Amino acid sequence: MPILVIAAALGFLIAKGLGNSLVYFRTVDEALALKAKLGTTTFRLEGVVKPHTVTTNSSGGVDFQLVGQDGRTISIVDTANPPELFQPNLPVVLVGHFQGNHFLSDQIMVKHSANYIAAHPNRVATVNGKKL
Amino acid sequence: MTSTLLRKAVGVTSLLLVAATVVMGLFVTPPDVVQGNLARLLYVHPPVAWVAYLAYGVTSIASGLYLWRPTRSLKWDRIAVASAEVGVVFTGLTLVTGSIWGRPAWGVWWTWDARLTTTAILFVLYLGYLALRRIPLSPEVRAKRSAVAALIAFIDVPIVHESVVWWRTLHQGATVATLGANTKVHGIMAWTLLLGFIAFTMVYIWMAMVRYRVETMSAELEATQFEAWEAERLAESTTGDEAIGRLLDPSPGVQSDQGVARR
Repeated sequence: MPILVIAAALGFLIAKGLGNSLVYFRTVDEALALKAKLGTTTFRLEGVVKPHTVTTNSSGGVDFQLVGQDGRTISIVDTANPPELFQPNLPVVLVGHFQGNHFLSDQIMVKHSANYIAAHPNRVATVNGKKL
Repeated sequence: MTSTLLRKAVGVTSLLLVAATVVMGLFVTPPDVVQGNLARLLYVHPPVAWVAYLAYGVTSIASGLYLWRPTRSLKWDRIAVASAEVGVVFTGLTLVTGSIWGRPAWGVWWTWDARLTTTAILFVLYLGYLALRRIPLSPEVRAKRSAVAALIAFIDVPIVHESVVWWRTLHQGATVATLGANTKVHGIMAWTLLLGFIAFTMVYIWMAMVRYRVETMSAELEATQFEAWEAERLAESTTGDEAIGRLLDPSPGVQSDQGVARR
């Protein structure tokens, strides 16, 4: 019996994985190229939050420009609260669909890098040796 | 006695190293420029994931040694299961710590990206391996089947590791494998990460040693119980043979017994 339960769980995971994992997101450039084909279907969109474009909207979310590698942008209208780490210049993955000239998003996921750098490495130490 | 002392020494050392990692990770290292204090999970999450890979690697090597006729011994099977059990614990910890990190950093507890999905598959595959071992079989047959299952399950380990390279994922790229390339981990943060790797590897060694001891004791107990059962059956069989012998060849002194038997 446990073997059957585990086999079922494995089947579920592989099915979900094949359905979602292999093309986890589309980039800004791909999405713009496929805009007509994508229509209003929901998909994940990846790009970098363009600095100085983030504003809070009436639904409690944020509006901003998402920039791709080629510098092309998509206007984002987000209806959900952005996560704690959301900020300009960071790559994000959005879940949503095109609506006219905008991409209407109901989920923002922050895609942080593998770099770990001290927040204030050059701060001057005080007399007791602790950094400010 | 020596092995007991060694186990205790490894246990105490691993405890001290984990304590040192906690102190370094929480009080000595600075917050990260982007992730702030969330980055402190760096000292736990990659090390526990590494230990899971290591555990499954040991399971695979032990399984291979069991399957190879010149080295075939149930000792390898016991090492394989001891390591796999610890590996499952650490895979579970990898999924939990990743989820705890993911919620504030990404904004979600879980997402079906390739790294997370293949890790979940890895967890289920080795749960399956442990479930397979629960099927009542002779130790040799169980060891053989489990060894084959362990080698099949291990195929997922390099897939998990390379998933962030082969597919698009929300999960960050490999931190450690690319050290010295594009990845930057600030000085004291890198040293604490290294300490975390050593500490959790020691924890793995200690847990696997204890689990191996339990497995060996369990096998010994099973063998003793089997011998006792065998002796008991043999004794019953001897008594039965004597009774049958008396019935077939009654002597004058056992007339009453014969009468009872006839009735």
